[in-house]
Amino acid sequence: MSWLDDLSLELYARGVPRRERARIAIELSDHIACEPGCEERLGDPRELANSFADELATSEARGSAFVSFAALAVAAVVLVISQITLARFAGYPGYSNGISTLLFFPAILGMVVAPQVALVAGTLGAWRALRRRRVTSMPAEEIGLIHRRTRVALAAGLATMAGLELYVIDFSERLPAWWLGLAGGLAAVAGICLFAATRTLGRARAIVSGAQGQAGDIYDDLPLLGWSTLRTRPWLLGALASLTVGLALGGFEAHAEHSVFEGIQRGMFEGVVAAVGFVVLGRAIGARPAQQSIKRGTPGPE
Amino acid sequence: MKSDTLNGQLDPLILATVADEPAHGYAILQRLKERSGGAFDLAEGTIYPALHRLERDGLLSSAWSTESGRRRRVYSVTRAGTSALKVRRREWKQFSQAVAAVIG
Repeated sequence: MSWLDDLSLELYARGVPRRERARIAIELSDHIACEPGCEERLGDPRELANSFADELATSEARGSAFVSFAALAVAAVVLVISQITLARFAGYPGYSNGISTLLFFPAILGMVVAPQVALVAGTLGAWRALRRRRVTSMPAEEIGLIHRRTRVALAAGLATMAGLELYVIDFSERLPAWWLGLAGGLAAVAGICLFAATRTLGRARAIVSGAQGQAGDIYDDLPLLGWSTLRTRPWLLGALASLTVGLALGGFEAHAEHSVFEGIQRGMFEGVVAAVGFVVLGRAIGARPAQQSIKRGTPGPE
Repeated sequence: MKSDTLNGQLDPLILATVADEPAHGYAILQRLKERSGGAFDLAEGTIYPALHRLERDGLLSSAWSTESGRRRRVYSVTRAGTSALKVRRREWKQFSQAVAAVIG
């Protein structure tokens, strides 16, 4: 087997895309043709393939995080437009006036809970990618963390748009046709953007990096005062985050609806949802530190 | 000079080499060797990931050409690459002057 064959196999094993592999093969076969017998000086095919894969995986992970953040921004604008036009011009129909509560509750969960998950996960993913924009080759674990954050954010973004579509269907007999068309159409466009972003993420995840190092966690992303204390007490962070979310959104609701009772209701709901989100998704998106980081208490990447 | 000594310096070396005239991978390597008097003893393959990375970063652009019936990728420096090279040259001068002042 020739040096070039070895390199092609190693690149394939690391998930380097076919087009990139073909280009590398042409460039290196030209190099060898310029000076026959120079294969040894080109280096170990495995190490060279690692180098290509590590750098490409890093670049694609960053790219997919940014593309996903942009798609999520489109979804956020769609959600805001649909809610402003609903409140100002169409009027909220009241939950019991829809076709079925089986449509209403998943719709509301999608429109209220999922956007918060998308915001947190998408922002953390894009922030890590931005913070590490000058790094040539990130550790495989860190690339995995960016992928997980991006995947959670995209899933939540798609759930948000699905929720909006369910809302449109549920109130299709109550709300004006112009609003149904506007909200349904915009949600479909945002859904297509999010789906396109999932394809970008899929391509990025196919490339296997072998670079060693730690992934780091939220404490590396947001180096605030007192963070080192919370790093060893992740549940305290979860409790504080849930309390903050509950108080902020409860206060907003109480002010908007001029009702302390509704504020308390909303605040409790949001606080519980934030706590559940922290338990279920915290480790996946690096909001809860990895077990090994707790034990060592060591920071991740700069 | 071993390749680990070149850590972080390969990108500006490539940019400086390509800045004069567009070139393909092998030619870039030969120019690097000539200009350095053969001082750089790096695995020759390592310049290709660097070339691809510099292109992804928008500092180089490339196009296919055909020479003696063989396809080859020819690289040239972009405007962003020229600016980046200026910055790296300035940083290197400051760094080397500072080191020389200490080491003597």
